[in-house]
Amino acid sequence: MFSYLIRRIFIAVPLLLGVVFIVTASFDLIPGDPAALILGEFASESAVAELREELGLDRPLLVRYVDTVVNVVQGDLGRSLSDRRPVATILGETFPLTAQLAGTAIALVLIIGIPLGLAAATRPGSTVDNVIRVVSLAGLSMPVFWTGLVFMVIFSVNLGWTPVSGVGTWQHLILPSVTLALPSIAVIARMTRSTVLEVLREDFIRTARAKGISERSLLWKHMLRNAMIPIITVLGLQLGQMLGGAVLTETVFAWPGVGRLTVFAIFNRDYPLMQGVVMVLAMVYVGVNLLVDLSYGLFDPRVRYA
Amino acid sequence: MDVAEKEVLLDPNRTDRVVPARPASPHRPPADVPGAPTPPPFPEENPLRNLRTVFAALVVLALLAGVGLAQKTLTIARPTDPVSLDPHFETTAPGSWVFSQILEPLITVNQQMEIEGRLATDWEFIDDTRLRFTLRQGVTFHDGTPFNAEAVKYTWDRAWDEDRPGRWKSLAGPVEGIEIVDEFTVDLVARQPYGPLLLTATMPYTGVVSPTAAEEMGDEFGRGPVGTGPFSFVEWRSNDRITLEANDDYWGGRPNLDRVVFRTIPEEGARMLSLRAGEVDMVLMPTPSDLPGLEADPNFTVEGAPGVGVFYLAFNLEREAVSDVRVRQAVAHAIDRELIVEAILEGGGVLATSVIGEPVFGYKDMRLLERYPYDPERARELLEEAGYSRGSDGFMVDENGERLTLELLPSNGRSLKDREIAETLQEFLRQAGIDVEMDIFEWATTFELMRGATLEYDLNSFTWFTTTADADYTMYSNYVSTETPPESWNRWRYANDDVDEWLKAARASLDLDEREELYGMVQDQLAVDLPAIPLYGSYEVAALDASVEGFVAHPIQYLLNLHPVDIVD
Repeated sequence: MFSYLIRRIFIAVPLLLGVVFIVTASFDLIPGDPAALILGEFASESAVAELREELGLDRPLLVRYVDTVVNVVQGDLGRSLSDRRPVATILGETFPLTAQLAGTAIALVLIIGIPLGLAAATRPGSTVDNVIRVVSLAGLSMPVFWTGLVFMVIFSVNLGWTPVSGVGTWQHLILPSVTLALPSIAVIARMTRSTVLEVLREDFIRTARAKGISERSLLWKHMLRNAMIPIITVLGLQLGQMLGGAVLTETVFAWPGVGRLTVFAIFNRDYPLMQGVVMVLAMVYVGVNLLVDLSYGLFDPRVRYA
Repeated sequence: MDVAEKEVLLDPNRTDRVVPARPASPHRPPADVPGAPTPPPFPEENPLRNLRTVFAALVVLALLAGVGLAQKTLTIARPTDPVSLDPHFETTAPGSWVFSQILEPLITVNQQMEIEGRLATDWEFIDDTRLRFTLRQGVTFHDGTPFNAEAVKYTWDRAWDEDRPGRWKSLAGPVEGIEIVDEFTVDLVARQPYGPLLLTATMPYTGVVSPTAAEEMGDEFGRGPVGTGPFSFVEWRSNDRITLEANDDYWGGRPNLDRVVFRTIPEEGARMLSLRAGEVDMVLMPTPSDLPGLEADPNFTVEGAPGVGVFYLAFNLEREAVSDVRVRQAVAHAIDRELIVEAILEGGGVLATSVIGEPVFGYKDMRLLERYPYDPERARELLEEAGYSRGSDGFMVDENGERLTLELLPSNGRSLKDREIAETLQEFLRQAGIDVEMDIFEWATTFELMRGATLEYDLNSFTWFTTTADADYTMYSNYVSTETPPESWNRWRYANDDVDEWLKAARASLDLDEREELYGMVQDQLAVDLPAIPLYGSYEVAALDASVEGFVAHPIQYLLNLHPVDIVD
């Protein structure tokens, strides 16, 4: 298990090197001169040229790439071009907020999505099943910026229960995390339903029933555990996406997270900031996937890490 | 200009204040007098007294809570966070709204476009290149540094620093810099006679910075500027909020507000809902279509002022088709400008009457509605005079049977409804028989194409803000024949010897009446030559909670005067 972990971490290194390369190279493909954009519409030509030099944009791609790799290894993600603060500091402020939002949303998905799926699966074709299926379809189809605004109108403006937007208290977390969780709850509920229904048809369920196991223990010990692997896989992907910054949710609720930081970096052609964001997100994805792989063993003792 | 020879900026020791040691008090009780009776270690237990203490504590708490409630905080929502709060590196409105509360220029223009003193009490031209300011005395920066001539010089020199020039340097024209006359007198010096010098000194970017703070903080200054303004910086949480608090010692009197919070709410709908839910008190750049509803609601007010920006359709005079003035006139007749303002902008803009906004010094009505009323038939006649004829498909064709096609590079995502307007223009021109092909790009690409040495389009739309509120700022760079891209802004390659001469004379003159007359002549000429068709003028508007009093919208988008604002329940 330990050697597996080490090996997985080593595999991540070339992956991250590749990410750095793609990020560095992609700037050459983006239209628009970053120096002219940063300096604004009325900057003189000489000032633009000066900034290009300062940013190293006048140097060839490979030189820039090697420099970036060396710096990143030393933990230096550079300075943001926009506000001149270290990129690491900015990410240190932003990432926890996104983690907070994503964590709450994933918790909601777990405690709402899975029971809903189970409830539907154990009574296929019933009213409960039909209602859950229709509602989850609706949850999937509604765009978050729309649900977000509807929630705001109902819960903040009309009922006055929650703040409209922003960060600060736990109340601020309610609307954005529910909005962010909703489509995932729908996905996980549908996913749980179909995998559990599949497991229900397995021989060992019939055997277990024949042995006289209570329905309750059948459900939790035999069905859910076997259905968990695909669910965890999808959940991991969802978490990765949410940690990557839910741009729309963050924008609607004025949540100053990674998603908006990414958009800000793109619009301001803030190269170092963008590189930092992409690299951290790549690491997050690698980390989440590793956790997902490791958790398989928890649910299925047949999984061996070697 | 050579700005390398910088004088010694500031002696850092100047700000060190010597605090004299306090003399020992003669009434100090002697330390330990032997034989004095020792007081009992604890007073006697008195339950009533304890109760009284608790009661007193409760009263104090209640009072504190009362004070807490009485804190007047103005919360302002706007769509974007600034990039920096250093005026030398942030020249956009979201930055200026914040730093102009903290940093003050020597003089400013008020909402009526009159010049007012801020850190200067008096100013006059002593010759045609030298503007003398008498500085306000007894002012200190938020960090305690005294304000004086050296701070002013430090600020301007900082923007002229060769290694990291301030972004507004290029806006300042032929300005040489600040010369110190005495501790409270400075001269703003131009390299050549320069009429716009006075308005240049009102730009919010020239806000005087605390030299001690700027030296100490370096790059960090942009994260927490230190000035003399009515509010001082407290905290900036990126993309969330910037908090300022009242400067108790402000020379102009303490502001009514205790705190100002600038919140970033990027989504338009959420911004307006925050106002309706009472979470914010003011929305800058509100949704135009929401304004009539808010105006009708007694819980809200709307404050607006015509601005200094003009959105226009420009012609590239180097391109054959539009080099013919009759074609340009035809385009002007083909566009229903009033309909664009009413139907597309919904109150977010006003009908433009000149290439510069009405509040700008030197403005003159170009009488465009009289000269070029909406008249598609007249447009077709003009095109026929220019040698085109009606083709079978309704489009005008030249003598070779080629369809009259104009290529348009529209502003996109930069100005209010710019893309929608581009699509409307295409339709208007189609009705007059002109085929318009447009390339819609994201802003960066559009901007790069606009600034290219040659413009590969017949038409280009764009908003130009006369940031200094002086006609020179727009006219000189846009219409003098030698001011061509990429160095300057005459993208249309407009060349008229008279206009060149008038604009140069107006720039060199200090006589306001003479300058105004010259700019008037230029605008009359532009109405005839028609290198550009002004479409709409910017309208600076804010939506407010009815409890906010004393706010007056400013024609210059960058300026937000919060000093007199109060919250009254």
